[in-house]
Amino acid sequence: MNVKKHLTLTRAGIIESLQFRLSSLVIIAGNFIYLIIVYYLWKAIYASVDTESVNGMTFSDTLIYLVLATSLFGFMEMYLVWQMGRDIQSGKIILDISKPMKYMPFMFWSLSGSVVMSFIMTFIPTFVAVYFLTNGAIHLGINILFFLISVVFAIIINFSIDFFIGTVCLYTESIWGINIMKEVIVLLLSGATIPIAFFPEPLKTIVLYLPFQSIYNVPLTILTKSEMPVEEVFKMMLTQVFWAAAAMLISSLFWKKSLKVITVNGG
Amino acid sequence: MKKKTIGFYLKIYGKILSQDLKSKMSYRADFIISTIGMIFTNISGFISFWILFKNFPSIMGWTYNEMLFLYGFSLIALTPVQCLFDNNWNLRMHVYSGDFIKYCFRPINLFFYYMSEVFDIKGLGQLAFGIGTLIYSWNRIGIHTTPLVILKTVIFLITASLFMIAIMNLAASTCFRIINSGYIMVMSSRFRDYAKYPISIFSPVFRFIFTFIIPIAFIAYYPGLVVLRPDEVPLLSWLSPLIGCIFFYISYKVWMKGATSYNGTGS
Repeated sequence: MNVKKHLTLTRAGIIESLQFRLSSLVIIAGNFIYLIIVYYLWKAIYASVDTESVNGMTFSDTLIYLVLATSLFGFMEMYLVWQMGRDIQSGKIILDISKPMKYMPFMFWSLSGSVVMSFIMTFIPTFVAVYFLTNGAIHLGINILFFLISVVFAIIINFSIDFFIGTVCLYTESIWGINIMKEVIVLLLSGATIPIAFFPEPLKTIVLYLPFQSIYNVPLTILTKSEMPVEEVFKMMLTQVFWAAAAMLISSLFWKKSLKVITVNGG
Repeated sequence: MKKKTIGFYLKIYGKILSQDLKSKMSYRADFIISTIGMIFTNISGFISFWILFKNFPSIMGWTYNEMLFLYGFSLIALTPVQCLFDNNWNLRMHVYSGDFIKYCFRPINLFFYYMSEVFDIKGLGQLAFGIGTLIYSWNRIGIHTTPLVILKTVIFLITASLFMIAIMNLAASTCFRIINSGYIMVMSSRFRDYAKYPISIFSPVFRFIFTFIIPIAFIAYYPGLVVLRPDEVPLLSWLSPLIGCIFFYISYKVWMKGATSYNGTGS
């Protein structure tokens, strides 16, 4: 496999997203407002109970978890479903399919550039802001390394789910509806809106068996619970590896099967 | 030219609406999937709410039912912007491609004609969900139902809608000056998710900001107080219908100014 070929696509993506600097600024401002709202909301929530921690999560744990979940969402959301849906409707998809590279890796590497950019532009500033806002409550150690590895798996799982949903657009010709359904399910069941630790049983057990929690809950738990034993961390990451492999396999098989039904008007 | 009456505009609106519905019905699958997507969004919002209050009985003196009231109130108040003013989302595309010029040649109000072109039926599901939530919490709190209270509710719901419509008008009108300003729309529409929280949880500085600079407190909190806590209504709540009208008028003027200074792209 030629790595250089793939990194060229990454580079192109980075250059492309550098074209929209104003948009990154507005997104950073938007994230900042969000940070404020989440901060006060959860401060008020925790002020209403007498105990310091609820379900094993203190105020700063929850804050770190939720704010980083949003910024993870910010850079993992590649708008792949939108792009695939639009390309299917306009017929442009045929240009990418006929490239001498498989469509799924082509999309992955093309989008990787913007992922790298938004990691630098939104995730790192948010991380620093949260670090100071909580007076250094994030433990800086080996957990950062585990977190980064875990994020890579999360990106692969998220991409594969998106790719699967994008393929569904071949059949439905509906983009908005399909995409909003996926987004809602992923955000709720992955623990991005409310940490999974707060979920009541049996919902919690069910959610832990689904692939979605590997996207947000696993990396964020690894990051915030630095006292967790290493075996536990590896166990969580193994689940991620399993889901990443499964999701990739299912998506590419589904795509292969769907390619036969593709009809592009006017191509 | 004869002055156009409201009746004239209503008649035109009806005609455009029926055409729009006919064209939507030819994409039936998309319509059904989008409606289901919208219901998913509302259910997931409700589930996160429920999970939150399973863990915390109240937030700064706001009980579950009161928060539910604000939630339902905001859902209803957001329906008009969803149903009637959805074409704001397409504005940047029309302006960018030059299509917008077609709207400028009609002998009726430009803003009216542009907005009347799209009616988003999906919003009706949200309306039903909002009304259900409002009635449920209304009964649980035991608000004394008199004709006057209902009248107040309706007036203040309209008020709340005006604020969100005005925010979206202003956000959309940026595209007359900045190319591809879609991210401003996305950010502004994210504010609606924060509207359901009581403004009293914020510190005074942010209370000021969310009241006078980004007026999200007017989408549910200030108007909702009139019905929810009739004994402690601040002056701002009573003034909100007036402020809403003025704010809407300003946004209309800004929108029109942008539209009339539009030169087309020469296509």
